[in-house]
Amino acid sequence: MIIQFNGLQETIPRDLNIRQLIKFFDEGDPHLIVEQNARYIYPKDYDTCMVMENDEIEFINPNLGG
Amino acid sequence: MTLPDSKRYARQIKLPQIGTPGQKKLAAARVLIAGAGGLGSLSSLYLAAAGVGHLIIVDKDRVELSNLNRQLLHSETSLGKPKALSASHRLGQLNSKIKITPIQVKIDRKNIDDLLKEVDLVVDGCDNYPTRQILNRGCLHHKLPWIFGGVQGFDGMITSFVPNSSVCFECIIQDHPATKLRDNGILGATAGIIASIQAMEAIKLLLDLGTPLTNRLMQICGLDMRITTAALTANPDCKACSPIKKN
Repeated sequence: MIIQFNGLQETIPRDLNIRQLIKFFDEGDPHLIVEQNARYIYPKDYDTCMVMENDEIEFINPNLGG
Repeated sequence: MTLPDSKRYARQIKLPQIGTPGQKKLAAARVLIAGAGGLGSLSSLYLAAAGVGHLIIVDKDRVELSNLNRQLLHSETSLGKPKALSASHRLGQLNSKIKITPIQVKIDRKNIDDLLKEVDLVVDGCDNYPTRQILNRGCLHHKLPWIFGGVQGFDGMITSFVPNSSVCFECIIQDHPATKLRDNGILGATAGIIASIQAMEAIKLLLDLGTPLTNRLMQICGLDMRITTAALTANPDCKACSPIKKN
């Protein structure tokens, strides 16, 4: 299915939750911030939060420099 | 307000949201700038220019040549000098009518309470997680708003934390054993963009104007100029603010 991932159209398998999506994109940042349809997703919800067709997903690597 | 002051700030006093009462409020405000680096440079310049009455500049470091691509408070003549003093000097040149207090210390758990005494608001210019965690706990304890900004490369993020009415820093970014700054470089303009928004947020919060960036996380990707804003909801498991919210 198709989602908007970090502003780009991406094809991903169906029935993925957020944790599986993180694995799918091979993201390893321990501070990763995930937004789904402009809403922050807490890590505790990664397993229950499903990715749906046309979702807008942002993976944000927090910027901690100053 | 004296005549020179009303002339200096005329263009912002003209704004109906600020006016003379707002300008007087700014003059009475006391803002702590945590770090006089890339973010603290620009945010403090804007706040000094806007007439915030007392700026407290806290930074433990000294000015290095590699700072000068983005830390516009400092110049070649301040190389080797404490950043807090260099910042104070430059801000004083910009606005001699405000009070500037330079403090050359590392923000830690022992001094945070003293640093936050009688402060109205904190602007983040830190470059690491642990110091922000200390700021977060201190601001929660003292019920102070603080404006988070973080930058790296071409990207930056910003949100405002207001105790009792927003999520806190540790709600959204948890500590992790692997926490360390990815030192991948930074473009000066990245810090400039985020720091400018921090200064605007600071003035809005000080004057209770508009809609602050609380419970929203703004991220700016400079390379492709994408700006996203995510809604933040309370994290009931937050170790920092949950106990406070329950009280």
